[in-house]
Amino acid sequence: MAISTEFRTNIIAAIPSLRAFGLSLTARGDRADDLVQETLMKAWKHHDSFQAGTNMKAWLFTILRNEFYSQIRKRKREVEDADGFYSGKVAVHAEQHGHLDMADLRVALLKLPEDQREAIILVGASGFSYEEAAEICSVAIGTIKSRVNRARAKLSEILETGDTSSLGLDDHVVANFTGAERN
Amino acid sequence: MVDNKIKKGRGGKPDKKNENNKMMSALAKPEVADLIGQRLKTYYNSVAEQPVPDRFIDLLNRLEAATEPKKSDREY
Repeated sequence: MAISTEFRTNIIAAIPSLRAFGLSLTARGDRADDLVQETLMKAWKHHDSFQAGTNMKAWLFTILRNEFYSQIRKRKREVEDADGFYSGKVAVHAEQHGHLDMADLRVALLKLPEDQREAIILVGASGFSYEEAAEICSVAIGTIKSRVNRARAKLSEILETGDTSSLGLDDHVVANFTGAERN
Repeated sequence: MVDNKIKKGRGGKPDKKNENNKMMSALAKPEVADLIGQRLKTYYNSVAEQPVPDRFIDLLNRLEAATEPKKSDREY
């Protein structure tokens, strides 16, 4: 069946949000864009399973988060490579303010369990309702609410105490996605 | 080192209550929750407001080109 122009247009419209979701989940621009690429390919391949009139953005987010978890499962079988964690990141000096807050938040997000991280991003940044987030994550609404509350509490704890150092990012902050994309 | 507090909590049930209390005290500060919400949105939007990179348009073009021949086959 031919893929409609509308389908394509809606996919393109969702790409910026998908990238933001991917980056918030992984904290890495390269990994985020790989997730988006996989998402687009799967969406294209399985376009028949999208029900017209339903929320396309939610459908695409579901594909991306499933891909994210499948990559985590794969990665967990590999030994975590500390160097790999930093590759693809551009270190800049801490004096360059402005990025500092964002770097703190990014590190704090990484300290959350994945399920809490995705819940607070979906509800707190992507603009999904609790119902939509619950559907995207295939869990009950109450579960999403509790994950969001836990995530908020943990983030306040981390950001209030300034405890963002344990990942070794205290000496240099990570250039934000915009900066890393520039060249 | 940094996770001392949390590690203590992992062991037994009484600490779960502790964790919850800590959570409630963190939640009790709406200005902190607001700040987190704002930062989260700023972080997210710093990417969400960027234009779509060419690589994704190219990818969609390739996917589209790959599906088109089938359509013309059928018409043939």
